[in-house]
Amino acid sequence: MIEVRNLTKTYNIEGQVITAVDNVTLDVSEGEFVSIVGHSGSGKTTLLSLLGGLTRPDSGTVVMDGVNLWDIDDNRLSEFRNKKINFIFQFASLIPTLTVKENVCLPSVFGQYNAGVDEYAVRLLEMVGLSDKINSYPSQLSGGQQRRVAIARAFINTPKVILADEPTGDLDEETEKEIISIFNRMNADDKVTFIIVTHNTELAGQAKRQLRMSNGVLKEV
Amino acid sequence: MKNLRRRFVRTVLLVLGVVVVSGTLFSATIVMQSIQNSLRIGTYRLGADVLVVPEKYEASARNALLAGEPTSFYMKKDALDKVRAVDGVKNVSAQVFIQPASFSCCYSANVFIVGFDPRTDFTIKPWLEESIKTIPEGNEIVTGREIPVKVGDYIPFYGTEFKVVGTLEGTGMKFFDNTVFMPLETAYRMAEQSRKKARQVLNISSDDISAVLVQVKSDITPDRVAIRIEHDIPGVKAIVSDQVISTVRQQMFVLLRSIFLIVGVAWIMALLMIAVVFSMIVNERQREIGLMRAMGAKKSGIFRLIMSEAILLSGLGGILGVTVGGILVYSFKNLLIASLKMPYLWPSSFKIAVLVLGCIVLSIITGAIAALYPAYSVSKMEPYDAIRKGE
Repeated sequence: MIEVRNLTKTYNIEGQVITAVDNVTLDVSEGEFVSIVGHSGSGKTTLLSLLGGLTRPDSGTVVMDGVNLWDIDDNRLSEFRNKKINFIFQFASLIPTLTVKENVCLPSVFGQYNAGVDEYAVRLLEMVGLSDKINSYPSQLSGGQQRRVAIARAFINTPKVILADEPTGDLDEETEKEIISIFNRMNADDKVTFIIVTHNTELAGQAKRQLRMSNGVLKEV
Repeated sequence: MKNLRRRFVRTVLLVLGVVVVSGTLFSATIVMQSIQNSLRIGTYRLGADVLVVPEKYEASARNALLAGEPTSFYMKKDALDKVRAVDGVKNVSAQVFIQPASFSCCYSANVFIVGFDPRTDFTIKPWLEESIKTIPEGNEIVTGREIPVKVGDYIPFYGTEFKVVGTLEGTGMKFFDNTVFMPLETAYRMAEQSRKKARQVLNISSDDISAVLVQVKSDITPDRVAIRIEHDIPGVKAIVSDQVISTVRQQMFVLLRSIFLIVGVAWIMALLMIAVVFSMIVNERQREIGLMRAMGAKKSGIFRLIMSEAILLSGLGGILGVTVGGILVYSFKNLLIASLKMPYLWPSSFKIAVLVLGCIVLSIITGAIAALYPAYSVSKMEPYDAIRKGE
């Protein structure tokens, strides 16, 4: 499903070259549930963005579903992201001027697929316990509720891969368990591949495969 | 639209900037067009190449022509033959300008009375033949567009009743629009009868004329004929009608240069303001834009999103500017005419429509140019960079 070869990404910060991701090689099969743990600044988020085609590596390749992400042009890469991948970010990632439902449906606007999207969005919002907030705006929601909307949005395009960066960060214990159970269900039923970056040991423990990142180097735990 | 409403005050200020530019541009252009339009029609209607008046009354004659300020000055009729005898003169015709008169029944403002000679006239007569297909005779008169009478009405002047047999199309020049035209002989008769019938006596004799209108031969310029007239006939001033118009055009040019300079500066400021504001907008929304890119939005989609917001804003500003400018010019038209002392006639509906469209399109182009760089720079950012820089 995902083949990563010798992936390296450096940043030049005030004249100093920082290697965020250092020669990472990784294979992830379809339907795998992978967690990546590591200290802050170890390069986890950068690795996730490289896997999702959000930033170009200095060297190395990312092949997903048979497509080398950096061999295709930007338009095709955008379409690929829209259809095959979705993200859960560690910050509030909702568009403030859109309602909850509009936020959930947003990927469908970019992908120009509309059939059944509204109904599916409502089902996803029910699944994350926000069916009563469909027409609310993000500013009317708590941080935890906003995170749940972002999680619902992550599934709207029935992605093959979910790349999640601290997905349960702002959630209370009970909601966290619900979200973990949703992830498990999607993984088991729909064969969605999960790659999750987390500090949460419980969430990391749910993963069948755990990796650790340290100074840009990725290792199996 | 929701994005623009998010920062309401900023959006309003941005729109106001465009309103000022498009409104000023529209108003200045429409005023210029109106003056030019009136001058064009007025000079065509004047029909004379040179206007010969008593030497001391050159300024009064110019004011009468351009601003329609009623005036009266006289010279002896023999000037007509003297002018006719000047080399290069093709046709001459006399006119008499009569003291401002008011008719109390319905119109309090002063009107200007011009007596013309139907036998020799080459200025008013062709116009009358063309537009109302009649030449006044006896106690008949033709009135300018601004005089509130209709055909068939009777109006008293200096104790004599006159029948309105025609009204002329508007020219924007008060000399035509606020004037009553009557045959020269009728004017003399009115003056004579005023001694018996009127409270206010009109002191002119049938030997008095105010101006000689001159048509020059095709092989000589009006300027040269004017010089010859002034040389051959002492005590007269020969005003070349083209020079009157060109003087006005020069005055207008100076005025318009200042206005367009202000509009130009305002346009550059608006352009910079929109560019700065849109840079701020895209900076504030970098993370949002990065997110949209992560969800599958293409670079071109992001570019279109920012550009459409800029176009919407500047288009709205353009429409409001043209509306406000139009209302202001229409409302203060009389004040404008009085302060500019220039003729004024609205351009045709088609020209106004083109101008409206032009100002709105220019506003939209302004917004588009200003937002071009911010839209381009944010759309070409890598999604991850946009997300990180927006944090």
